[in-house]
Amino acid sequence: MCNKRTLFFLGFFFIFSGMSLLGADTNTSSPKINITPELKKEFPLKAHHDKLSLSCTDCHEGQGDDPKDFKLIGDKGCLSCHKTKQFLADRLKFMDTTHTNPHNSIHDGPKLYCDECHNEHKPSDNMCLQCHSNDVKSWMRPTP
Amino acid sequence: MSKETMSRRDALKFGVVGAGAAMLTAANAMAAAPTEKEVKFDEEYDVIVIGTGFAGLAAAAKAAERGYKVLILEKMGRVGGNSVINGGGMAVPNSTWQKKYGIQDSGELFIADCLKAGLGINHVELLETIVKRAQDALDFSIKCGAKWQDVKPAWFGGHSVPRSLVTDNMSGSGVIKPMHEFVEKLPGCKIMTRVKMDDFVMSNDGTTVVGVTARINYRFDPKLLSDDVENKTGDKKVYKAKKGIVLASGGFSMDKVFRKIQDPRLVEDMDATNHDGATAGALLKAFQIGALPVHIDWIQQGPWASPDERGFGVAPLLTQQGLFKFGVAVDVKNGKRFMNEMADRKTRADAEYVILRKDPKSFPVAIGTYNTFEEQIYPIIEKGLTGGVMKKFDTLDAFAANYKIPADALKATVKKYNEDVKNGVEDEFKKQTLKGDSLKELKGGDPIDMKGPFYGIRLVPKPHHTMGGLHINTKAQVISGNTNKPIPGLFAAGEVTGGTHGASRLGTVAVTDCLVFGLIAGENI
Repeated sequence: MCNKRTLFFLGFFFIFSGMSLLGADTNTSSPKINITPELKKEFPLKAHHDKLSLSCTDCHEGQGDDPKDFKLIGDKGCLSCHKTKQFLADRLKFMDTTHTNPHNSIHDGPKLYCDECHNEHKPSDNMCLQCHSNDVKSWMRPTP
Repeated sequence: MSKETMSRRDALKFGVVGAGAAMLTAANAMAAAPTEKEVKFDEEYDVIVIGTGFAGLAAAAKAAERGYKVLILEKMGRVGGNSVINGGGMAVPNSTWQKKYGIQDSGELFIADCLKAGLGINHVELLETIVKRAQDALDFSIKCGAKWQDVKPAWFGGHSVPRSLVTDNMSGSGVIKPMHEFVEKLPGCKIMTRVKMDDFVMSNDGTTVVGVTARINYRFDPKLLSDDVENKTGDKKVYKAKKGIVLASGGFSMDKVFRKIQDPRLVEDMDATNHDGATAGALLKAFQIGALPVHIDWIQQGPWASPDERGFGVAPLLTQQGLFKFGVAVDVKNGKRFMNEMADRKTRADAEYVILRKDPKSFPVAIGTYNTFEEQIYPIIEKGLTGGVMKKFDTLDAFAANYKIPADALKATVKKYNEDVKNGVEDEFKKQTLKGDSLKELKGGDPIDMKGPFYGIRLVPKPHHTMGGLHINTKAQVISGNTNKPIPGLFAAGEVTGGTHGASRLGTVAVTDCLVFGLIAGENI
């Protein structure tokens, strides 16, 4: 009985794996993408993400296997690992005392889009600099 | 035949051809606003507000409070436009604050101040509306959760008396953040960011505004010369507004193309105090459906900005509520004063331009001492110093050496300035803070404390507020040039409107203007 059940599940597992392999061919689930040096040069990762050996589809989930078709992942994509904007604001709570917490600023609170400042495949762009060009260097390090 | 008649005739001919072409391509969105039958509405609301600044959110909050289903569209990723980066000052004539702190004021005095700065071309009925409703607008902001500092109102340039309240966090965000939350909590209301309004949708007879076409997932691109024209991002949507549209899309101080057409001195790479999205796109769409323009080429430049930082920065606060009231501004070439540091913005910016035109790099310098700062501004002093936009020197000699001012001339200027106040001699520039009750704040001391240390900020005018815009009536209805009557379904409030401030707006009246007419639009729609 037990064996039968195990076999059943094993079979199910194989079928499922097979389906996901098939899926790779038909662009419906997360495929493995061969990250060539050229690809890495065109779409470089930030050091902290590179260290984790993230692959394209860890972020570009369900977007097929052609990097050219990938779309922005939006706040939801970022927050699937980075939890919530409030969590990020709280993590920098020590900066609140000087009103310099970029994730909970006097102007916007914890409400800005992540990609207002943070980019993955190109240099990030600190929004605070638009008005506080002189102050930012004493507030924080370059935007990761 | 005179040249003028020739060109007028040519213009007429061109006009006829133009109208013919427009008729031929009526269906082309490039040529005219689409009509109801040419679109399919994706969603339906009672009221649609374009813009999330003071005016837009006040209109939305009021309309939502009345039970309307309100959609608010914001093209930027960030809510609040210029309102969220402004200094948070609001002039309220005859306010409860003034009564509490014993300041005598009147509506007539406020209007006289505005007319003086506005060179008399202000639309007085709009100023009268501000006088009547400013306290209401202030109360409404408090109802929405805004907090204002409970201190004596601040005294801004061009005002005869202190009448400006400042938010608790010294930013317009002190109003925008609670108002944003207030609106979002009301049932049926929604704020969508990164959504760009493209066109008005007109009724089939072309008379009434019934909706807008827009693009969701829009990404503003500050690198483009004209984002309004060149940016093609986003996915098209059409929204219906059963009661109407409130256009609160702000001014165009950052519109590199349109501002230069109006004032060729404003070259493309010139910095402004505004956020990147302050462009003329929505304003021009209103013109296309017949809205009347007023005072478009009066672009106000802030005389209190500094070349030593980007954008608005901290200099405007440190000069207006610090160095200007009892300190002085001097021409670095001769160490002499050159303006009433408390005059209206246009007078001061023009005075600075006289110096800068001779030598674009010889920025004038404002000078003051610790006692010249108002108490609201104390927390910012350190910020100015660490950022480097303000500098501190123990002696006037060191001050003069740093800014390359002839030291003897600078010392003579300060000495005479202090002595005149002590001797009751009227200031050569008739500065209003150097007479009467105001001097009591000095407690018998010198305006500039000779013990030092001395604080300095270099000055440059920056485009700040576009006076001109849509012609509205006192109900915030937009007036049509085709009928001289309101365009049904179209209201406007805030910097996108014109006429209120005439040639030049007094400091801290923008917040009042935006909140008052936003509130009125929300009441009347």
